[in-house]
Amino acid sequence: MTEKTIAHTDLETFLDRLRAAGVVYAPAEDEAGDVALTEVSPTEPVVLEYSNFHLSPKGFFLPQNQTLLCFKDGKAAEPSPPDQETFLFGVRPCDARALLALDQVFLDGEQSDPYYARLRATTTVIALACTRPMPSCFCTSVGGGPGDGAGADILAVGLEADLLLRAQSPKGEDLLSSVADLLADVPCGAVERAEERVRVAEEQIAPVRVDNSAQRLRDAYDSPLWEAASQKCLACGTCSFLCPTCHCFDITDEARGSRGRRVRTWDCCAYPLFTLHASGHNPRPTPKERWRQRIMHKFRYAVENLDRLFCVGCGRCIRNCPVSMDLRSVLKEVGA
Amino acid sequence: MTPSHEIETRLRETAEQLLREKRVDLFLGYEKASLPFRTTPLFLTCPQEVERLAWNPFCAANLAVYLPRLFKAPADARQAKDAPPPPTVGVVLKGCDTRSVVALIQERQVPRDKLVLVGVACPGMVDRRKAERALGEHVALGAGEDAQGNVHAVVEDGTEVALPREQILASACLECRSPTPSIHDALLGEPVEAKDPQAARRQTAEFGAKALAARWAHLRQTLSKCIRCNACRQACPMCYCKECLLDQTRPRWLGAGTDISDVTIYHLVRACHMAGRCTECGACVRACPMGIDTRLLVRKLNQEVEDLYGYRPGEAIDATPPLSAFAMDDPQDFLTEP
Repeated sequence: MTEKTIAHTDLETFLDRLRAAGVVYAPAEDEAGDVALTEVSPTEPVVLEYSNFHLSPKGFFLPQNQTLLCFKDGKAAEPSPPDQETFLFGVRPCDARALLALDQVFLDGEQSDPYYARLRATTTVIALACTRPMPSCFCTSVGGGPGDGAGADILAVGLEADLLLRAQSPKGEDLLSSVADLLADVPCGAVERAEERVRVAEEQIAPVRVDNSAQRLRDAYDSPLWEAASQKCLACGTCSFLCPTCHCFDITDEARGSRGRRVRTWDCCAYPLFTLHASGHNPRPTPKERWRQRIMHKFRYAVENLDRLFCVGCGRCIRNCPVSMDLRSVLKEVGA
Repeated sequence: MTPSHEIETRLRETAEQLLREKRVDLFLGYEKASLPFRTTPLFLTCPQEVERLAWNPFCAANLAVYLPRLFKAPADARQAKDAPPPPTVGVVLKGCDTRSVVALIQERQVPRDKLVLVGVACPGMVDRRKAERALGEHVALGAGEDAQGNVHAVVEDGTEVALPREQILASACLECRSPTPSIHDALLGEPVEAKDPQAARRQTAEFGAKALAARWAHLRQTLSKCIRCNACRQACPMCYCKECLLDQTRPRWLGAGTDISDVTIYHLVRACHMAGRCTECGACVRACPMGIDTRLLVRKLNQEVEDLYGYRPGEAIDATPPLSAFAMDDPQDFLTEP
């Protein structure tokens, strides 16, 4: 595992090198003053200190709208696959970790999803250790942490004058060796300083109890708490759409006469239409069943079927819920 | 301005009495949320739990959104026969929320005799995004209000930061024409003075003064942020249709994704359906996770309705909404020959 440092002053050159190889997205302030993953121009300043982005980067791998095929007069053709590399610099560790969950869904051997696989293969993720956790964050309780590099190709940790870079995958190793002239050997004490920064961030994150959640949720399936917890849910899709691991989708044909396209769009289990059958029957007829499904999928079914919690503790659903529902309190109430 | 804690005390007493005397089966209010600058809706059925009820400058949600679903009859006739009788519901309402309830009663979505309206004269609610932005680099761990009505936040290093009200109140509140509920069964707090009606027209006037191309560009740019999560629609008390046109699949009127044409249609359809019905409570703006000011279009339409018919939605239960009625002398100079 290669470990190097790069001076802050060389970061621009590093990003320029990436630009020569593909499209680079890095943290920059948008017009509203929020820091977002943006296709930055070489002159634009890159921000290194920020709380997490408003939108998760899942759209780079599972776009909200994705044309699967185009058809015309009975003949179908797939759109041409992406032909350029994409580099995501500054992804927070929680969001990088979410990619491991998506990989398990979309890169499962024979069932692999070619659209996801292509975007995953042509995208390089450079995570940046988190120094500004928010009160809604709980990554440390769901297997991650502010200094976790799982799911990323490279993990960067910001230090005073430089960044500590750690390769996390063969792709990351290759990238680091391709820019070796910009990198320096790790100076004495840098690893310890990086660990210290991560530890300071870790201490700001309040724990949530999720151990043995699958068993506990199995026992709580018929709990009256689901009814109470779901009462105030408005059935909007904010939580799912902002969630880095929610991956349910819908496929529709948009046709005009005999030509058109088949498009995949994000869907959400809070919507009444989500499980509506053609017969008119809906196995999840009320918000109670829908809300239970959301929690069960993330904290029970995914654990039982894929041995992984489908929550990375980014807290977006908590921060953005229009009626301030908090999945942590629901988990607590059902004893999960 | 009546201090929030006094209103909170009276609110708890009122709810306790209503539940204890079984005058309501359910009481809708607010309780403390897990994050600062917010509350979360509370569905109370037990008089012993009224201490959970909160009243503070963070009670922004329009609780009227929950009412139509409580009175919705089952679609299936057999189920309807066995359905329990509709509940009696007590609900906390600010000036704007009361207007939504008036409109819902007019449109026969909720029965007046099943509602106990607990009105609160509202001095304006905090926009959590403005408050978070006002703190800059700092992250709030808690927030509250002092006796003078100033909002304070406790930030990560334990220091307390004062936030001036005008800086952090929601735009809808800074322009509110009806802070005191017009109808109510109980009213808490001293009546609050309404803002100048012209203030609510400033945004549309500024927008209208731009050239056509600039207005279109602005709309496109704003709407391009939309992720079609439906939060604006779901948070809106006036969006109660059993099946929304925008969700229909046979036929499908618009694509499911975020193609700019689909997004534009989504917002135009919603604006048109809200003309003369929207009470401008700002629930859609608060709900939008992308920070889109979803009110702009409908405010313009509302102003046209007010100018043409002298009608503001949600003012009086016995008033007839102009777009639901026909009169021989209706103005029609906006009609054009094909």
